[in-house]
Amino acid sequence: MSTKAILLGNEAIARGVIEAGCEVAAGYPGTPSSEIIPAIAKWADELGTRTVVEWGANEKVAFEMAAAASFAGKRSCAVMKQVGLNVAADPFMSVAHFQLKGGFLLISADDPGPHSSQTEQDSRFFAMFAKIPCFDPSTAVEAKEMVFDAFDLSERHNVIVMLRPSVRVDHCRQDVELKDVIDISRPASFEKDPKRWVCLPSSVKVNHPQLNAKREAVREEFETKFAKYNFEVPAKGKAKLGIIAAGVSFSIVTDILKSWGVDNVSILKIGTPHPLPLKMVEDFISRHEDVLILEETYPVIEMQLNDRTGVKGRWNGWVPGAGELLPEVIEEILCKVTGRKAPEGASPKLKKAMEELNITPRRPMLCPGCPHRASFFAIRQTLPKAIYPSDIGCYTLGVNQGMVDSVVDMGASITQASGLYMAYKVDGIEQPIVASIGDSTFFHMGLPGLASAVYNKHVFVLAILDNNLTAMTGGQSNPGIGDKLRDGDTGRKVDIEGAVKGCGVKWVKTTGAYDIAGSRALVKEAWEHARTHEEPTVIIFRHPCMLLKEKQAVVPVMVDPEKCIGCKFCINYFNCPGLVFDEKLKKAYIDERFCVKCGVCINVCPHGAILGTEGEEA
Amino acid sequence: MQYVIVGIGGQGILFSSRVLGHIALSKGERVVGSEVHGMAQRGGSVISHFKVGDYNSPMVKAKEADVLLAFDQNEAVRNLHFLKQGGQVVVNTHEASFVDNPSLKSWLGERDAKLRTILGYDILKKHMGGRFLFLNVLILGAMCGAGVGSVSIDEVREAVRTLAPARFVEDNIRAVDLGYEGTR
Ligand SMILES: Cc1ncc(C[n+]2csc(CCOP(=O)(O)OP(=O)(O)O)c2C)c(N)n1
Repeated sequence: MSTKAILLGNEAIARGVIEAGCEVAAGYPGTPSSEIIPAIAKWADELGTRTVVEWGANEKVAFEMAAAASFAGKRSCAVMKQVGLNVAADPFMSVAHFQLKGGFLLISADDPGPHSSQTEQDSRFFAMFAKIPCFDPSTAVEAKEMVFDAFDLSERHNVIVMLRPSVRVDHCRQDVELKDVIDISRPASFEKDPKRWVCLPSSVKVNHPQLNAKREAVREEFETKFAKYNFEVPAKGKAKLGIIAAGVSFSIVTDILKSWGVDNVSILKIGTPHPLPLKMVEDFISRHEDVLILEETYPVIEMQLNDRTGVKGRWNGWVPGAGELLPEVIEEILCKVTGRKAPEGASPKLKKAMEELNITPRRPMLCPGCPHRASFFAIRQTLPKAIYPSDIGCYTLGVNQGMVDSVVDMGASITQASGLYMAYKVDGIEQPIVASIGDSTFFHMGLPGLASAVYNKHVFVLAILDNNLTAMTGGQSNPGIGDKLRDGDTGRKVDIEGAVKGCGVKWVKTTGAYDIAGSRALVKEAWEHARTHEEPTVIIFRHPCMLLKEKQAVVPVMVDPEKCIGCKFCINYFNCPGLVFDEKLKKAYIDERFCVKCGVCINVCPHGAILGTEGEEA
Repeated sequence: MQYVIVGIGGQGILFSSRVLGHIALSKGERVVGSEVHGMAQRGGSVISHFKVGDYNSPMVKAKEADVLLAFDQNEAVRNLHFLKQGGQVVVNTHEASFVDNPSLKSWLGERDAKLRTILGYDILKKHMGGRFLFLNVLILGAMCGAGVGSVSIDEVREAVRTLAPARFVEDNIRAVDLGYEGTR
């Protein structure tokens, strides 16, 4: 069977994973990788495979689950975003040395730009660091194809193989061919062999040279046997300029040259950036007067060259050292390299129109009706002088409400609260601190920080914003919810309050996020308890995420223009897309395009100008 | 044919490119495009690129879009630079007067670009109980009504029928038709 379908890049990758006979898959959500794991489950259901596919509580957990399944001989894969690999770096570096059994694919999705990440780091560097092979797809079609070769390569060399799709591959939509599942029936069989599976220093003495040898063997294959990913697009006639291009940059550069009608440039496409097929690349360089390297986002190909002094790339500033290589950026580089006239930039007329019409890019905001907004409002109203370390999730957008003072990475709300407490403790100063963390993030990396804070008697309030969803990444399940991915597969919900108590927290209470008065009372009590008992306290704010579309009371509201004094308190402290300010009239009003009638803002206006309209006389 | 579809996170712009994709595939055409997922979907500016034909890159380059479909007038103006000479724009508007801006008018003139507006919010308020989530199909109808793009209204109806959740098929078709009538 072979049919075509238009798939998201991530759905295509997932389809490849299932078609390649992968039987164990684990991941943790993170843009731009989030759709892969659910799509693996969807294809497995549709095609009736036995694949076990699950979310782990974090990337390290997911990576280790998938790795051990490979120890037992199963084809397995671990899926995460680039910063997720930071979390999984410890097992990744260790397992790279192992003589694996079942094929083990690591999918680490990069986010040049970045669009939805705290860094734009390049996972290919991690592959180089760990000395393992890496595939860098240019399109969704190629990414799916690479999955097969990655499993095959992994099994032949008993090594982890990385697939590094970037956001434009993950979130591209393309017509993709669907095939059948290859049958590789293979019972799980873990063979006890401490030399192989226990990472003792003595094994490293054997494994490290072996890893080096694997890398060189793979490099040799990449030189000669992977012409479908590493190939030259020759110029018509003799080319002066040669471009080495990888990933989406290859797709972009070919489209641009085609639209220009330029055919005197040759392109070397590299789909396996590590280990780099050096002979092939150096031969290409030697045949061209001028060579440009386009790759995202770090100079990984460039840095593997024995001599890069003759090429134009990041090291000499021809290619920008940060940011996504958008078509417009690549076009500009090509113009500079070829001496072509650069396209004119932004039109002054359009700029003027935008100024006159007062148009600026829309910043992301919490959704109308989002429970986090109400929780933040209640906290800030109660402890306005507190420091608010926060975390990664939709609630990071609480920065618009002045409720997010510092964010580092997942779980760091709690540990920053600890560190801030320690800093002020040195000076003998009592500083209120309220940390905020989401339910998924709490299970991801909140628990160790909380146990540490209880142990060390750190004084702060922790707000767990439980919206019953991993929302920022599109709405996945997590241990606090308990749903699983495959049809008929059920999980078990881990009780957040129980987990908090299990970490040793004595004072933990729950409030409805929409209940601003009740929440305020609890915040006050929590802080009083924390400072008088010298221990962290926890409030769980509960209300389902708006993405879940659960039924709730409909409370239409209006702003009474008579009572509104134009102080913008509601805008600055509540910051809802449905509640906006009319700069001409100097009054707030309800923008019915966005208002979802949650009614929470009725409690916000200090002048009582926001009113429920239910039952009001027309 | 290159489309750029813009709007605000939460307006459901991804469904529109799915409809276009479905139609292209049924005609045996090659398709590649790029979507926004993640942070921006929370009410920020969102953009979707969609190309039908022999392309590799999922992104439309500035000055190459045949069609700009905008769910929001501000996002329309912010993304006009994608439009090619002679390109066409279909915009859902909440304040139609923005088209009178002289700088905008003069820019459109220079580019030989046609801009059609539809008061989608008003139409959905009047005819569909203010259920603004149908904007994504209304605008496709409006595109066909204005004679813009490479798909016919029948193809849009058919694709929406296939792709919309069963419960909402009739509502979706109504919204398509309202859009179609609105610009015809
Ligand atoms: C190490 C790491 N993994 C994954 C992500 C992607 N990510 C960003 S926010 C988020 C989930 C947040 O969920 P939750 O804490 O429940 O908050 P919500 O968005 O639901 O408010 C994830 C997984 C990340 N930024 N870093």
